[in-house]
Amino acid sequence: MKNLFPALLASSASLIAAMPAQAEVQLEVMHHWVAESEAAALNVVREALAAKGYGWQDSAVGGQSGGNMQQALRSRLASGNPPGAMQFIGWEGIDWSAEGVMRELNALDEANGWEAAIAPQVLPFVKNGDDLIAAPINMHRQNWVWANKAAFDKAGIEQPGTWAELIEDGAKLREVGVIPLAMGDEPWQIQVIFDALVADIGGPEFYNKALVELDPEALSSDTMKQVFDTLRQVRGLVDDGFTGRDWAVASGMVINGQAGMQIMGDWAKGEFLAKGLKPGEDFLCFATPSETPSFQWLIDSFGMFKVTDPEVTKAQDALAEVVMGPKVQHDFNLIKGSIPARTDLPVDDFDDCAKKGFEDRAIAIENGAMLGASTHGFASQPQFATVFGDVVAQFFVNDMASEDAVQMLVSGIDNAR
Amino acid sequence: MTRKKSFSDRLADWLPRLVMAPSLLVILVGVYLFIAWTGWISLSSSRMVPQYDFVGLEQYYRLWATPRWHTAVANLFIFSALFLAVTIGVGLVMAILLDQNIRAEGALRAVYLYPMALSFIVTGTAWKWILNPDLGIQKVVNGLGWESFVFNWITQPKFAIYTIVIAAVWQSSGFAMAIFLAGLRGIDNSVIKAAQIEGATLPRIYASIIVPMLRPAFLSVTVLLSYIAIKNFDLVLAMTNGGPGNATEVPSTFMFSATFRRNQMGVGAASAMMMLMTVAAIIIPYLYSELKESRDGQ
Repeated sequence: MKNLFPALLASSASLIAAMPAQAEVQLEVMHHWVAESEAAALNVVREALAAKGYGWQDSAVGGQSGGNMQQALRSRLASGNPPGAMQFIGWEGIDWSAEGVMRELNALDEANGWEAAIAPQVLPFVKNGDDLIAAPINMHRQNWVWANKAAFDKAGIEQPGTWAELIEDGAKLREVGVIPLAMGDEPWQIQVIFDALVADIGGPEFYNKALVELDPEALSSDTMKQVFDTLRQVRGLVDDGFTGRDWAVASGMVINGQAGMQIMGDWAKGEFLAKGLKPGEDFLCFATPSETPSFQWLIDSFGMFKVTDPEVTKAQDALAEVVMGPKVQHDFNLIKGSIPARTDLPVDDFDDCAKKGFEDRAIAIENGAMLGASTHGFASQPQFATVFGDVVAQFFVNDMASEDAVQMLVSGIDNAR
Repeated sequence: MTRKKSFSDRLADWLPRLVMAPSLLVILVGVYLFIAWTGWISLSSSRMVPQYDFVGLEQYYRLWATPRWHTAVANLFIFSALFLAVTIGVGLVMAILLDQNIRAEGALRAVYLYPMALSFIVTGTAWKWILNPDLGIQKVVNGLGWESFVFNWITQPKFAIYTIVIAAVWQSSGFAMAIFLAGLRGIDNSVIKAAQIEGATLPRIYASIIVPMLRPAFLSVTVLLSYIAIKNFDLVLAMTNGGPGNATEVPSTFMFSATFRRNQMGVGAASAMMMLMTVAAIIIPYLYSELKESRDGQ
């Protein structure tokens, strides 16, 4: 017993001695990118940061779509020891900024003219008032359809122009023994389809009213009921083994021709490309069908916490410059499967789907169809956005009437206020 | 005649208290202080970060107006009741059968105990695949020629919670068996012999003498399984992740998602307090009656 204290001292001393001598300032970056392609993409950032003379101290907390990372961050902030920088999605950056723990990057923004390069619809998620608080690195599009070309040919169908056509095509795919639509039963996967339906059936204005402004009239409108009616038809395109199916497994089903289509963000493209499939030849990528095609986007951005060490602040500046650097944005997104958050970069060497996304984005910015992806927290605050997830997931797996779903939506949103 | 206590005597008196003090302090702070803190948060308007204001029972109203919470509470009761009953039943029967001086008892015991060595994440993932109609039991049976066989509970919102019971029973009944077996071995053989001389049949001996004598084992098993049931989180997460359509939500998964994913820390805290009160309402009277009896009785 009496030996315990010296032993503890000795062991902690040896721990300190075991730490490497710090040749450079290390910037701790907290993120939830743990998948292989994500880690590879991050390497681009890490190397660019090293070229500026700063080390990258990796602090990856995966799991629960970033839920675990949020938990870790809360305890770090509570103990007054925030990481240097962190990856944000949705309102996270703005919410933490409102708590006064984020630093602004205005000087860098003015010196480099970043704001002009960012799509105006994205700004509310990286600017708190007049302060730029996060540097966006990429942009994903959520409302893509990924289709197996061979399966489409076998069923004798082409890219559908409306949801009604898509559902009819599903029946033709089933006739030739192909599961029309591959997906999992996770609420967010169902919500991705719901988001697409809201914008495709109701139009961009309705999307903003219902999913962003949470207008009770829009939520209980006939258009919303029509959205649920169509979602019910979409359920008929899905096989029964969809319980607990990962989105990547669903992509695999389209890749090997077991299923015809998947409705998923462009992170799914990585799965197709990794198997050596060529866009246009082996697989098709097109926006969810609509007369008013929308671009439902989500971004990842890096925000910087207020720290006392001026050296770390310099390292934060360096990271922000790296993230917004045209070359890093280009190389990072080439690996990650997304497109650069900056709208002013050439994308000639990207694949056809990414180029199409880039074109669609330019058009969508023009005619007001740039919509924040509700599923990924770029529409309403999480306490509301998750209500949509709850309701559509219950609707999808149960035998629920559209009227009841709409009712649940209205009361659920009301309760979360 | 009084003698002045020597230093070593006094040390001997104080040493247990000194040694216990740090752990007592850790428990006071780490458990009770945080229970109180959670209680306080549940009465505040906290959303993303703790707020130290007071809004009365608003978060509790909000909690009970959330359909997901009703599902979670119903699931907790369905799961706990079935899990406890079936695990205790299966464990007891296995213990009694193993207690019949059979061959290779040690090996069999290890076989039944082994699932306990797995984490719930492993159990959940394995059972997710076993119960998936396109991969597991249904596919195998269909492949054997019974085409119309259907076992797709895990895809049915109304039945999914029972699949979680199946996995949990599989994991824990060996553990219940081990405790019952220890209890059975502790029973004096002479009691059984006396009963046999009186002409009692074996089932009668088990029902009227041995099982009632296992009461302490029942207490341990019930308490341990109850808290496994209530803290059940990883199994649900691995098996169904609360799905299909929130049908297998339990209070612990509700609490985690409210607090850390939905910016509703106040609602999360309120749900944690509801869980605490539920546990207290069931366990305290049970412990009280069991412990009181043993103090008075034996």
